[in-house]
Amino acid sequence: MSASNRDEVRLNRDKSVFARFIHQWDLQVLVIPSLILILVFSYIPMYGVIMAFQEYKLGEKLGFSEWVGLKQFVYLFSEPAFPRVLRNTLIISGLKILINFPIPIIFAVMINEMRAKQFKKVVQTVSYLPHFISWVVCATLMFDMFSTDGGAINELLKWVGVTKSGIPFFNRSNYFWGLTVATDLWKELGWNSIIFIAAIAGVDPQLYEAADIDGATRIQKIWYITVQTIKPTIIILLIFTVGGMLNANFDQIMMLTNQMSNAQLRETGDVIDTFVYRFGLQQMRYSFATAASLFKTVINFVLLLITNHVAGKLGDTALL
Amino acid sequence: MRIKRSRSDYFIDGLILLVMLMVLVITLYPFLNSLAISLNDSKDSVKGGITIWPRVFTWNNYVLIFNNERIPRAYLISIARTVIGTILGLLFTGSLAFGLAHTNLVGRKIYTIICLIPMYFGGGIIPTFLLIKSMGLLNNFWVYIIPGVVGLWNMILMRTYFQTIPDGLEESAVIDGASYLRIFFQIIIPISAPIIATIALYIGVAQWNSWFDAAMYITKDSLKPMQTILMNVISEARYAEQLAQSGITDVGNMLKGQNTNVRSITMATMVVTVLPILMIYPFLQRYFIKGIMVGSLKG
Repeated sequence: MSASNRDEVRLNRDKSVFARFIHQWDLQVLVIPSLILILVFSYIPMYGVIMAFQEYKLGEKLGFSEWVGLKQFVYLFSEPAFPRVLRNTLIISGLKILINFPIPIIFAVMINEMRAKQFKKVVQTVSYLPHFISWVVCATLMFDMFSTDGGAINELLKWVGVTKSGIPFFNRSNYFWGLTVATDLWKELGWNSIIFIAAIAGVDPQLYEAADIDGATRIQKIWYITVQTIKPTIIILLIFTVGGMLNANFDQIMMLTNQMSNAQLRETGDVIDTFVYRFGLQQMRYSFATAASLFKTVINFVLLLITNHVAGKLGDTALL
Repeated sequence: MRIKRSRSDYFIDGLILLVMLMVLVITLYPFLNSLAISLNDSKDSVKGGITIWPRVFTWNNYVLIFNNERIPRAYLISIARTVIGTILGLLFTGSLAFGLAHTNLVGRKIYTIICLIPMYFGGGIIPTFLLIKSMGLLNNFWVYIIPGVVGLWNMILMRTYFQTIPDGLEESAVIDGASYLRIFFQIIIPISAPIIATIALYIGVAQWNSWFDAAMYITKDSLKPMQTILMNVISEARYAEQLAQSGITDVGNMLKGQNTNVRSITMATMVVTVLPILMIYPFLQRYFIKGIMVGSLKG
């Protein structure tokens, strides 16, 4: 829908901006209420970030507190829990990129190789399902699956003989990294594969036919045609994933740790976002928590710039 | 042309089949198992061994949770926030998208920049919390609706769709003297059913599944949605016991069933929470996927 009425456009060109604004009041009325909501609910908190350089006290107006310079950041870096929080964030995200990024690609390739159309559809439909349930529901299912009291995983482990009384997975910190990776894979495997399945669908079938004539094996066709064609998609998504590396999925970790109330899991489960939540909203150290959150935003942005630069160097589509 | 299939071909097919069967089982089993437990007699469940079929069938666990006033009330809150949130979300997001789809919109460049920046930067939870608090939205139903009523990613999807509508349609309406408001409500909305369905499902699922806003801004029991109730049930066994007890009149029964009920109650609450999502899943699948395709084409 470009300029809808040419006469109107010609007329508008001669008038001042203000007159044009008034003339199209009915169009402005449609956008201005939404824009005001964006300004209030997105821009005021953005402005409020300056409280990271202040000492906010309850009852004060956002951004009008006493300036303290970098004091909050000095506190942050001398906070004994902070190195652990950084480590957990990087390890959980790193494991997810290492394991849960490539598996959906492999899954998509496998889906593409399936011959039974009906069965293929069933698998796809089922695999997308967990994406639509909340992490609250997902945690409920996982707590039950991994419970020591008749949970399927522990029953299986007992049957195989790995354990006698069951492993209390969600009460020991040493299983937590594995659990975040596994539950994330369970929930998002199918969903994350959709974009790759779509990319594979766009591959020119003639390429496969040509490869058949040249006597290529199936593995060769997968590697040299399918994977090569979807490489740009893979790289773009990898950039996004690495760029958001410090996010570590707040929803998931909050739910799997019972909103961080499970102290056993803090050793391996406390990440930047949960740290901000604990210090900001539970201990009400608002400025301190905002500083931690700002630190995360800055690092995330730097990561995005770096990965984009690297991708640009590789000669593929850059983002920014 | 058809190439003869080699032995390694059959091996690959078998391997894929096996992997896919595993994916099916691992994905579905937790759901079926919980459903079976929720439909099984709680005293029988404690013996263990329930897989995907209830052994002693009963509706009792559901009767129990619905006899507790908290669950129906939370259900109503969840339904209300989903319905109101979806309608208002569509209205505010759609009208903004409609406006920005017009090249003759005065201020279009500035408006677009205003919309793009929050897609990449945010203030984080602390300033947002303090803002909501200063606006008096704590313990207020509208905190579920207003702060996120304009979804910017959704707006981009809708704008892209609106831009593909042929100009002629609107031109003829303008010649007839229709205002933009009339064009939006009487011409554009009726012909945009596919994108509206997609975005409605996006917003609806997000509203139904949302728990964080309730955890941050709501302390009043009467305003808590289903997700929060389920959260309480899994984090506090005692809460589940309370739910269980409130429906039982026989004290002896109650004492005997105390420990056994928790798991059944949790599962019944979980099933009730996830049911609406499962019921609309066929639509979800169709429209969500269309949505990501549009999004990815846009880049």
